[in-house]
Amino acid sequence: MIPVFGGLSLSLALGLSFIAFIILFLFIRTGDYRFYLAGWRSVVMVSLFSILATLLLLNELIQSNFDVDYVAHYTSLETPLLYKVTALWAGQAGSLLFWLFILSIYCLIVLFQNRNKYTQLMPWVILVLVSIQFFFLIITNFVANPFSPTDVNFIVANGNGLNPLLQNLTMSIHPPTLYLGYVGFSVPFAFAIAALITGDTSPLWIRSIRRWTLIVWMFQSAGVILGGWWAYQELGWGGYWAWDPVENASFMPWLTGTAFLHSIIIQEKKDMLRIWNIVLIVLTFSLCIFGTFLTRSGVMSSVHSFTASNLGPLFLGYVFFNLFISFGLIIYRKSDFKSKRRIKSFTSRESGFLFNNVIFVIICFAVFWGTIFPVISEAVTGTKITVGAPFFNQVTIPIGLFLLFMTGVGPILVWRRTSKQAFIRNFSLPIAFGLVSLLGGIIIGMSGYVIISFALIGFVTAVILEEFIRGIRSRRKVQNETVITALISMVRKNRSRYGGYIVHLGIVFMFVGFTGRAFNQELEFSIKKGQFQKFGSYQFEFISLQELERPNHFAWVAGLNVWNDQNEIITRLSPEKRIYFHRDPNPDRRQPHSELSIFSTVFKDIYSIFSGIDIEQEIAYIKIMINPLVWWVWLGGWVLVAGTLIALWPHKE
Amino acid sequence: MARHKILIAIIGISIITAFWITYVTLNPDQNGTGMMKFLSVYELRATQESSRVRLGGKVATGSIIISATDKLDASFDLAQGEASIPVKFYGTRPDLFKDDAEIIVEGNYHSGMFNADQLQVKCASRYEGTLRDESSYNLDEL
Repeated sequence: MIPVFGGLSLSLALGLSFIAFIILFLFIRTGDYRFYLAGWRSVVMVSLFSILATLLLLNELIQSNFDVDYVAHYTSLETPLLYKVTALWAGQAGSLLFWLFILSIYCLIVLFQNRNKYTQLMPWVILVLVSIQFFFLIITNFVANPFSPTDVNFIVANGNGLNPLLQNLTMSIHPPTLYLGYVGFSVPFAFAIAALITGDTSPLWIRSIRRWTLIVWMFQSAGVILGGWWAYQELGWGGYWAWDPVENASFMPWLTGTAFLHSIIIQEKKDMLRIWNIVLIVLTFSLCIFGTFLTRSGVMSSVHSFTASNLGPLFLGYVFFNLFISFGLIIYRKSDFKSKRRIKSFTSRESGFLFNNVIFVIICFAVFWGTIFPVISEAVTGTKITVGAPFFNQVTIPIGLFLLFMTGVGPILVWRRTSKQAFIRNFSLPIAFGLVSLLGGIIIGMSGYVIISFALIGFVTAVILEEFIRGIRSRRKVQNETVITALISMVRKNRSRYGGYIVHLGIVFMFVGFTGRAFNQELEFSIKKGQFQKFGSYQFEFISLQELERPNHFAWVAGLNVWNDQNEIITRLSPEKRIYFHRDPNPDRRQPHSELSIFSTVFKDIYSIFSGIDIEQEIAYIKIMINPLVWWVWLGGWVLVAGTLIALWPHKE
Repeated sequence: MARHKILIAIIGISIITAFWITYVTLNPDQNGTGMMKFLSVYELRATQESSRVRLGGKVATGSIIISATDKLDASFDLAQGEASIPVKFYGTRPDLFKDDAEIIVEGNYHSGMFNADQLQVKCASRYEGTLRDESSYNLDEL
């Protein structure tokens, strides 16, 4: 019965969303407040029904009701509870419902938070949000209904089970985190469209979504990084970023979103870049939908995409529809939204922000180009081309390094105009730092981009430290505080500024990790029990081979002692070769899976993969990778989140 | 004044990067891993392309031969319908590599043999296919 209720909730939500749309229109036509209230309430109901439908599907997944096709496809009786829950977003229909679920939660927050605020903007904001809900309701009702039943001719005794690759703790938080980011951009988008339609040129809409955008941005950043983390731990090719179309799909809105986050500061403080900000948020939202399209349509073959489906044209149509309406409105309102203020100087913080924005958009374009190139090339020349990671690395590394440079320059530029003295005062220490790291790099024997990267890392770190030290010093002059209290009260007084610097520091740390990639090494070898294998300055000793049966798989666990050149054991690695669905009577349906074992330190990771086994001869086939500085990428991620939280922490009223 | 300078700088940056992107698109790196043709078995047999390419197809049933002395050394046939191409691959094979798996290899085609150094398996059909299998049974048969 429950699946029927699930389907019914979705249908009711769809019907109500249509009604809400009409009622809100009537309000805008007549100005009768009763219509507004009715519309407001219907959107609450749409959201509640969508949330209910999601909870019902979740219930079916947990109860293993295999009469529902989705449940039978993505879970089995052996699937642990946690992964029954995560199966909610493991497949196409479920993940689209999950999109709607998060959008509905956001919708409720917006509705209740702004109940008596922004009376001009809100009707339009709600209208835009409900139209997005409407789109996803159409899909979940008619195209990919998660409640559709299993083929009536079959009784499914046990489901397929969740892909072992997805049975990983990081994987259970990566998609929801990313979705919280992706979907959240609907709200600033809705406010921007509302501002355009009502012709409200003030920074009011910016003010109402600034904190929101920051939260959403934090989720998105964390989501992208978690995705990399998952890939690193689970996929076994030793990296965290492959420029896969779907990774790019999550990265592109992050780039424009980050640009947006910077440029709204200018509009808030200086009332400039009004149109630009709207363009950025429209692009960001469209890229979010485009990303969902790439992931869900099967246009690109990738680790993430599901089978080809008829969703493609719908999503693409929706992206174009959004772009058409948005840019139509922008052109229509262009003259109203022209800022009267002009940037005064080339060396001002305003222009620094502007350049940062341009670079972000350019990187986004480069990634976009590489992502869709195969499609374009096939359409034009008829041959399929695949664009690999080397292309993206080659294109984006120099631009990315320039962006890193701007991360350093931006904060020390002064609003309006930076004087020569300020220039010298602010830049001499960081430049000295940069030069020292450059020289240090040359002495160690580095070259190329690596050395430029390390020089810039030194430069930007110095800039950030200098900002903190200068702030602390000036406080201590006046207040006579200890360094720590001065630091705390300084950050507290200007959370968004220092939070921002901490985010920058996180980015610098991540660049340290990216640069380490240049020194990756790998070796594949076969090894008998008791033997040693030398690799670099390490010796790997194969000491044990264990057989284990766990609830949902069978595993061989290899024990590898790692010796350093001082003849000390530094760690024991235990990569596993697993067989999932090992009780499946059909051997073809049992699924082997390699579970990695990683020893991670500040300087390098030792990454081991148990790739094959010869049981009779007790030979294991092992792949070892030594990946320097990867740890810094994750540290950078944490620092980034911490910095954003500092910037977000509410002021005491 | 400042406005013009900024405008010029922005246009300058855009032009430079546009050139850069075009350059990299037209001249992918020397070993040709940046951009590759993605061919099917038929197409590769027809064109005899010798540059580095990606090749997609199905692993022909029963064709996988793994060296007795070194399990990392594998050879197999990649098939599309009736046509097939012999492939050599040395290295760690993905977990899902087996007979009939849909795979993509990367490497060079040389005198009738494809030497691959990359091997990817398309996502397991288990999660996308229909639910017909031993754990389910047909009502009509009861």
